[in-house]
Amino acid sequence: MMSVRRALERLLALVRRRRLDRELENEILAHLELAERDAMARGLSPEEARRAARLRFGGIERMKEEHRDERSFRRIETLLRDLRYGLASLGRTPGFTAVVVSVLALGIGANVAMFSVVDAVLLKPLPFPQPDLIVRVWEAPQPGAVNATSAPDFVDWKRLANNVFDALSAEQSVSMALTDKDGATRLSGKAVTADYFRVFSAKAQLGRTFTPEEDQPGAAPLIVLSHAAWQSDFGGDPDILNRRPILDGVPHQVIGVLPPGAFDRDETRFWKPLVFTPDQQVRDLRWLTLYGRLRAGVTAARAGEHMQAINAALMAAHSIEDRNGTIVVAPLAPLLVGADLQRSIYVAFGAVALVLLIACANTVNLLLAKAASRGRELAVRAALGASRGCLIAQLLTESVVLCLLGGGAGVALAGLLIRAARPMLAESLPFTADVNLDLRVLAFAGVVALGVALLAGTFPALRATFSGVAESLNRSVRGSSGAHARLRRAIIIGEVALSLVLVCGALLLFRSLLKLQQLDTGIRVEKVLTMSVDLPAGAYPTPQKAALFYREAAQRLQAAPGVSEVGFSTVLPLRWISNGEGMFVPGIPEMVHVRFKRVDPGYFDALGIPVLAGRGIAGQDREGTPRVAVINQALAARLEQVARIKNPVGKAVRVSTPGYREMMEFIPEVEIVGVIRSERVSGPGDPDPPVVYVPLAQVPSPGVKLVIRTGAEMAAVMPAIREAVREIDPNLPLGDVATMEQVRDGTLSGASRPAGLIGTFAAIAVLLAAIGLYGVLSHTVTLQRREIGIRMALGAGATDVFSQVLRNALSMVTAGLVLGLLGTFALTRVMKNLLFEVSPLDPVALSIACVAIALIGLLAGFLPARRAATLDPVETLREEG
Amino acid sequence: MSKQQAEVPYGTLDLLILKTLEAMGPLHGYAIARRIEQVSGDSLQLSQGSVHPALIRLEQEGWIRTDWGISETNRKVKFYSLTKAGKKQVRVEVENWEKATALVARFLEPL
Repeated sequence: MMSVRRALERLLALVRRRRLDRELENEILAHLELAERDAMARGLSPEEARRAARLRFGGIERMKEEHRDERSFRRIETLLRDLRYGLASLGRTPGFTAVVVSVLALGIGANVAMFSVVDAVLLKPLPFPQPDLIVRVWEAPQPGAVNATSAPDFVDWKRLANNVFDALSAEQSVSMALTDKDGATRLSGKAVTADYFRVFSAKAQLGRTFTPEEDQPGAAPLIVLSHAAWQSDFGGDPDILNRRPILDGVPHQVIGVLPPGAFDRDETRFWKPLVFTPDQQVRDLRWLTLYGRLRAGVTAARAGEHMQAINAALMAAHSIEDRNGTIVVAPLAPLLVGADLQRSIYVAFGAVALVLLIACANTVNLLLAKAASRGRELAVRAALGASRGCLIAQLLTESVVLCLLGGGAGVALAGLLIRAARPMLAESLPFTADVNLDLRVLAFAGVVALGVALLAGTFPALRATFSGVAESLNRSVRGSSGAHARLRRAIIIGEVALSLVLVCGALLLFRSLLKLQQLDTGIRVEKVLTMSVDLPAGAYPTPQKAALFYREAAQRLQAAPGVSEVGFSTVLPLRWISNGEGMFVPGIPEMVHVRFKRVDPGYFDALGIPVLAGRGIAGQDREGTPRVAVINQALAARLEQVARIKNPVGKAVRVSTPGYREMMEFIPEVEIVGVIRSERVSGPGDPDPPVVYVPLAQVPSPGVKLVIRTGAEMAAVMPAIREAVREIDPNLPLGDVATMEQVRDGTLSGASRPAGLIGTFAAIAVLLAAIGLYGVLSHTVTLQRREIGIRMALGAGATDVFSQVLRNALSMVTAGLVLGLLGTFALTRVMKNLLFEVSPLDPVALSIACVAIALIGLLAGFLPARRAATLDPVETLREEG
Repeated sequence: MSKQQAEVPYGTLDLLILKTLEAMGPLHGYAIARRIEQVSGDSLQLSQGSVHPALIRLEQEGWIRTDWGISETNRKVKFYSLTKAGKKQVRVEVENWEKATALVARFLEPL
């Protein structure tokens, strides 16, 4: 057994190899000199002495090998030598090396970037301690539905279920105006019950988080800040815990700042305690999102069963009968991702995997071409005694070196891609996803690079060393070998097929995107600015105050330079209206479910929504005048269906109506005064829901959206708009400033987002396939120079040669197209879910893809064909004869 | 080369080298090879070169040490000498050898 000391010495010898070799050389020389001297002393001539000395010494080379075996690890030394040799060989063919490395960099880079997304979104656990225990809880009216929870239910559940939950917390999104000497800023935040940070096991970096009594009535106003908010909105002030920032006109104490991390990727800047007011204690009002942390050892399923039992008991105790929903306790992670995003990610990952396959195929092809052109070199080495294993090891080492170079370049490329895509990623991924080139991603890159090396390197290495020495040495004059050419053709056909699949997918997605953009939104989106205003409770305690603000703001904004029309609404178009209300129509027993929106007189005009019957909301509809409502076409149709009302204008109905700040609803009688053409409320695919519009002046809301038609660019008009609002209330910030086009794209692009990504991958794939095709044809022409020369000498014309090479290209492309179409048919099911109003077998997309690939194939074949046609037969025959 | 020559018994080259160095003090590679040949009375078939791989092994084990010196032909060469551990190793190897030969000898005695 080898001693530790010896093992270390041998490792050390790896690095001292050069010096040790030199010393050995020296020793041998000295040894032979001394032996010669002794031999001459015995009376031999110098010649004889030298011979005798060598004879006595034995085989010098064998001794050197033995010496290396003894002093070090032979395998590693060989590997190092192969690596050195490989690098040198790659250095001799810089063009080849550059092409292969960049092909691999594209393939590996795209995959590494995509994997970092997959890893962050789907593979990594949530960035909280024991993330499997974090759940969401709700009562589902029907299976599969996600629902909010009422305050009394939450309080009961929390009290009764503490044997399954370690912590249970309710959350509601809020926004507050932060005012300081520079003006007012709108901050998004969350009102949460005291257990919230226990659910996520989040500790404060500075100060503390909430204590149990701090969400009880009468508690002082407190907030906890996110690290990002501390840094950007408060300049990282180290004395932040002693500051009293003014939020909605009230000084708040900052009790803590969270450490940097996942919460910074969310839009939430602060958390404040959620204190239930008496009017919120209504079981029918579901408005809270519940997060829970299970006790260790409790599964979500068991917690669900337990909650079900609690709920049954509660319903009996409160004699509630009309509720038959089930309580759902669901792990948080899958809810954050969602089925749509997951599908998009899988499809995009599939697309990059295809790109990698194509890059692999190209590499095989290029390596085969290189192996073919150095068949002689390998044969000579084999003839000099290198074993086949030796040659394979050396060729494989070369491809490993190539792939590692390609992998390194790919990782750099992936870094650039991730950085470029970061804004888009932040928008479409859950806040828990941290997309980064971390160790896991680098390990993935390493595995992919080595996998590609084995996949792409083994075959050419085996192939190149397969043929006998004599054959190789003799073959050089004979042109390409048949088996070799067949293999390379098969690879090209596969590449063409794969790129057709990608191009078809990309074109289908683009067509779907076009359809989405042509989708009738029912509104004018050009030159419309949107923003939101939230009136703080302190300054606007009554609905009258709010109504006064809206009227005054509309007048001032109307007069601002660059503004042509102004409207207010509680919800923007193309944004799902979350509050569902009931309409009670005389004569029918059930209520009609409607969506509820409050708008001012300017809203329909600002968005170009036509009034189809009756009138819109007018300035006379205010407090004190009769209550009115305008309905959309969808609601008119619904009324006709359920109550046989042909002309709803003038009909009196009752509509359940939310209060100003209090949660209590009232059900006043209103007169329907008009019908408008439906504006789009939700994304593609969903039918327009019935909507009732009531005047903002009659039912004011503390939070509204502004819709402003402008005559000029957004940046030019914004200062005037801000100034107009500041003149009325200097402490009121404008938030969520966006153009209507951005709002529309935000709603519609969910389904179309992979289009751009897959389009890019498809372009890369086509480029790679074209390079591959060009490479193979051009190499074939090189190998067949002699054959072409002979044919030309025997009378074949330039056009014959030209068309023969082109026919060769065309036959490969055609075979590839057929295979690719089959692949596209096989993938229809995957694509169907991603497409909007486009068939996965859309003939337009498929034919454009086929024609495009055929053209690119012909182009790739054109140059080699022309080169073949302009060969000079005399020169070719002489050169290799 | 008419005399009957024996090969170096397997695994004994180390012992021969160590013993030589113990007896002679610091020597260079050629001198070690020559000395082994002389002691064996030229009855040993030893390629002189094969002492070099053995020397690197012994050096890595820490049994011998090298110092630079000048050869009789005025060349810078390595002189090998026993270390403390090497001296101990000579005793171990000798003991092993004696054990092995005693064992074999018992089998060779007439029964």
